[in-house]
Amino acid sequence: MLSAIVIVATASRGNNKWGGTTAKNLSVAHLGQQGTPLVCVEVLGRSVIERLIDDLRRGGVEKISVYQGISEPSSCTDIHSTSPIEFCSAETAWAGATQRLASCKDTGAEAIVVTRVSGYMDLELKDALRFHREQGQVVTRAFDDKEPLDFWIVDPAGIDEGTDILSAVEPARYLVPGYVNRLQDPGDLRRLVVDGLTARCGLRPKGQETRPGVWMGEETQVHRDARIVAPAFIGRGARVAEQCLITRCSSIESNCYVDYGTVVEDSSVLSNSYVGIGLDVAHSIVDGNNLLNLERDVTLEISDPCVMRQNRVPRQGGDVQSPVPSGVGNVEWVQAE
Amino acid sequence: MLTSGPVVIMQMPEQLNLDGVRTFLQEVEPLLECHRPRIVLDCSQVRYIDNAGVEMMLHCLEEAMKRDGDLKLAALSPESEVILELMRVARVFEAFATSDEAVRSFNGVPAEAVPQDVPWYGGVFGEMGTLKQAS
Repeated sequence: MLSAIVIVATASRGNNKWGGTTAKNLSVAHLGQQGTPLVCVEVLGRSVIERLIDDLRRGGVEKISVYQGISEPSSCTDIHSTSPIEFCSAETAWAGATQRLASCKDTGAEAIVVTRVSGYMDLELKDALRFHREQGQVVTRAFDDKEPLDFWIVDPAGIDEGTDILSAVEPARYLVPGYVNRLQDPGDLRRLVVDGLTARCGLRPKGQETRPGVWMGEETQVHRDARIVAPAFIGRGARVAEQCLITRCSSIESNCYVDYGTVVEDSSVLSNSYVGIGLDVAHSIVDGNNLLNLERDVTLEISDPCVMRQNRVPRQGGDVQSPVPSGVGNVEWVQAE
Repeated sequence: MLTSGPVVIMQMPEQLNLDGVRTFLQEVEPLLECHRPRIVLDCSQVRYIDNAGVEMMLHCLEEAMKRDGDLKLAALSPESEVILELMRVARVFEAFATSDEAVRSFNGVPAEAVPQDVPWYGGVFGEMGTLKQAS
């Protein structure tokens, strides 16, 4: 049996003898989502953390525990998975995960995957597990060509209770052969969208490719006089009004509304955002009423709700699995408080 | 208000909202009513701009152009530039890094140097007339 401990923390381990990734602010706090880590932000229809959980499931991991720190400034509450996940909270996510790992010695697990979701990587879990077995060491850690990544495979038989196995043992180095994006800033998020749409990484848009390079989620409404130029992505329940132009690797995530005549070029509109009439959104990330222009590195808070605002989608019947309960026509677009 | 020859530099207020716009318009409108107004709006102090601010700038440009003049922007902050691009009006205005540059751009071709009595198409049709005669 394989099990996994997934850590949602903004910072890497403080006392890390292998020199882990530097503790950077991984949140989009300045983009207004109350400090949501970038890994929890929807990218081409599904967040990086949800994609990781899917990958773990596909790799044969049966038990997944997600650790979040109570004291963490950020939160990642909306993780949608078809199979159950154990959500745990501790004083800090790392402390909880380390404690949990130490208690895994006698659980009968063949291997335990420990990962802090800090970025996106194309990792073949089965290949990593084979490498781990071949090396015969207690801990294997993933590396890219630059630095160590926060991804370990631990042999539970080698765990000594009371010791921090991740820092106590020299790990075998597993070099990730594929794409790695550390998502250290919103510019990396945008790069991930572009790389996903241009097939430079394994992250595939969640939806149907209606024509080459154009992906649409479920229940999207694109006006027949709107133009979507490939590659582009329109997420679930999103609406694109008449005379709009969506182009140059732009993504309109779920439940967004791009209003009449607006041009979205080389930009990402994050989920639940309203973009007003006749605007020109270029080289930017839009999140509700916040706009981050990546070209000029400028963040603007738009106070006029007619220009940009956060859409709040009500959830019917307490169904937290589905932010879009039914057809777009039933979704009430409410201005956030 | 600073003047530099016939070009007038107007300092824009910090808040370009409805209130700021009203006050500013009272100052700028008399200048727009003269013949060939040449105005530079110095935006170095602008910290907030909304629809009313953008509309006012467009109104001033329109009024200046109606009277054969022009209005240019100077010292736009990156935030203001992003707003103008977002509202699709960035390309409508000529913008310069400093007020001095904006003033110099007016003086590049002094109005006095342009002959006022010859229509702009005079030369072209004059040559065509000569060609017709030759044929």
